[in-house]
Amino acid sequence: MTEAFYITAAELAAGGFENTPDELMSSRHMIYSSPATLDFNSPGAKGFGVKRAGLAIPGSVMLLVAPGCCGRNTALLNELGYNERFFYLLLDDTDIVTGRHLTKIPKACKEVCDSLDYTPTAVMICITCVDALLGTDMERVCRKCEEVTNVPTLPAYMYALTREKRLPPMAGVRKSVYGLLKPQKRRGDLCNILGYFSPLHDDCELYELMKSVGVSTQELARCDTIERYHKLSQANFNLVINPEARYAAQDMEKRLGIPYIEINRFYRIDKIRNQYRLLGQALGVEFDDGRYYDKAKQSIEKFRERFGQLRFAVGECVNADSFELALALTEYGSKVSEIYGTVGERNFFYIKKLAELSPDTRIFTNLSPTMLNYERRTQIDVTIGVDAGYYHPDLPNVMFNDEEQPFGYEGVTLLMEQLSAAAEKEGK
Amino acid sequence: MKKLLKFISPLAPDDSGACSVLYEMGGITVICDAGGCAGNVCGFDEPRWFTKKSALLSAGLRDMDAILGRDDRLVAKLTRAQEQLEREFTAVVGTPVPAVIATDYKALERMAEKRTGVPCVTVATDGTKLYDKGETEAYLKLFKKFAKEKLETVKGSAAVIGATPLNTGFTTADEIKAAFLKEGFTQVVCIGLDSGLDEVRRISRFEKIFVIAPSGIRAGRWLSEEFGLDVEIHSCPVPESYVAELKKLCGTFKKALVIHQQMTANGVREILGGDTAVGTFFELEKSAAEKNDFHIADEEDFAEKAQGYDLIVGDISLKRALGGYEGRWVDLPHFAVSGRTFTAAKI
Repeated sequence: MTEAFYITAAELAAGGFENTPDELMSSRHMIYSSPATLDFNSPGAKGFGVKRAGLAIPGSVMLLVAPGCCGRNTALLNELGYNERFFYLLLDDTDIVTGRHLTKIPKACKEVCDSLDYTPTAVMICITCVDALLGTDMERVCRKCEEVTNVPTLPAYMYALTREKRLPPMAGVRKSVYGLLKPQKRRGDLCNILGYFSPLHDDCELYELMKSVGVSTQELARCDTIERYHKLSQANFNLVINPEARYAAQDMEKRLGIPYIEINRFYRIDKIRNQYRLLGQALGVEFDDGRYYDKAKQSIEKFRERFGQLRFAVGECVNADSFELALALTEYGSKVSEIYGTVGERNFFYIKKLAELSPDTRIFTNLSPTMLNYERRTQIDVTIGVDAGYYHPDLPNVMFNDEEQPFGYEGVTLLMEQLSAAAEKEGK
Repeated sequence: MKKLLKFISPLAPDDSGACSVLYEMGGITVICDAGGCAGNVCGFDEPRWFTKKSALLSAGLRDMDAILGRDDRLVAKLTRAQEQLEREFTAVVGTPVPAVIATDYKALERMAEKRTGVPCVTVATDGTKLYDKGETEAYLKLFKKFAKEKLETVKGSAAVIGATPLNTGFTTADEIKAAFLKEGFTQVVCIGLDSGLDEVRRISRFEKIFVIAPSGIRAGRWLSEEFGLDVEIHSCPVPESYVAELKKLCGTFKKALVIHQQMTANGVREILGGDTAVGTFFELEKSAAEKNDFHIADEEDFAEKAQGYDLIVGDISLKRALGGYEGRWVDLPHFAVSGRTFTAAKI
């Protein structure tokens, strides 16, 4: 049997992105949905997949129009209190070939709305691979539903087939959940943070920094009522903190006239500082981020002094780009022995940098069938990410995968605190 | 409205059933999907995913693979996986995507066998049917492919067909084996649960074949016809702790309804006695049914047919569909309904 496939950072960087080995390209091999990465390959699985994300509009309900197999794991969300917001119109074998189910959707929508003792703020109609292949015009079907129910109806596309396309499912659903917003008079002191379906940590400095220059922030995940949701279109601009929200921001710019600025989540504090400087320039202000920077820097130095050169394995089921995080840890003086990640054009830059500092770092992909044969062959002290924890159940693990999102300096401080706690527990 | 679910989540689909049968067989099982179906199977319908390793893979289909019907790419990826994992056979399990594009499974099977050099089993599921259909097809295909000759009968041996977690709520064979050992057998094997392809190959040596779920009936019939094996439909064991609790219900009701897969429900009825009917969302095998037993087509049908029973024994997640049901409901977990095993539930 073949051992788990890996390539070193130096080898990968030397070949360039265009020569990335097939084993690292998910479209060129069978995909192992390892227990470590269940929420990774399926757009409807754990965490915020399309189904849960589609219900981000407060007071909305979802009608999943699909064969039974597509909605099966929705029961996982029941314990989070979603069972009263999900409804299913099951397709049979004739439906999926002829598309006759499309005529039944308005009636099903009506029945769902009538069965509730309140009027939902919106009905999200979630469709899957079947309708992707049938070429269904779901916007038209949604209009028909609206005529019948008088309830705003929006599509949510759970098209696993288009995962690597320009508009993957998780980008599409981000656009959908802002789809109810209508143009209105904008306020110069308001901005939206776009990126995730859960909010940033309450202590994130981004809130304070924006406030310090007279701008209040709004997030979809903090909209507990439909009234608060509609205020999102009063924002003067959108701050996009996750590239998956770029398409939604572009759509809001087009429909609502709200421009957007894109920033990234980094774990290298100099990059964070630089980004705030550039953001300030774009807004015509200067952020005083000194104390946040100092606090994050201190947490890094304290960690380094206390633990010296720890060896890490970094996964991708984590609130970070695994390669950027690995690069940050390497720059802070730690060693990253292994990374389990998905190589793309966007993060190849980090791999090149990593190759200079840590050429021997081994890069694996969770999705390769060879990961069934994975065995540890490097020295690792602490693992980061749910997936890394799965491969090394005997080692201290920091999942760093909470729903509340870390960002900026606060993210770095939080990471260092959690790494310290894990390392201390094991007496490293 | 038919096929509209307002209160319960979709039940386990046919592709999950097929994967459940193939899970411990030691082959490479490919779910012919884009990723979502594999996520549902591995992340929900296969409780062994976290405890027993299996080469259960997703084909990772993309839109152009489906639109252009690129089966050659699928086979090339399968061949590569076989080179890496070196398994005894491969299997391809269907989903809605190949159903929409009318994939020719026979051709796929031939192509895969030619390229990989090992047998291939294809199961033409489409995700629109229920798990028992997929299990039925998978059992039948496995036996037809690998059980080739009549072996000498081993006295006191028994094989159990239908022992999947979806049917039984068990992730290991211990409790089922114990139940049949109590009946006097000296060697008991659950096909596909704590056992692999060898037991399928050598199925004809068993003195007795027990079928404990409707999904095993067709395979049982084929084994009987092909090798003259002694096949018996048998109630499916439930944990001893449940039996004790169920016994306490005897004589406490006027009219009871048991909802599960038919053979588990039959077993519960044997314990309860009295005026007890069986209802099932899955296949109802006439030869194992009593006069008042019935099939449940959907939520609406369930609400209608469940009227008039003062005791219902069934998965608690179904109760929601009965609104203000005033009788007594005793929870009997069915993994194919709620994704709960017996160990995860309390009576």
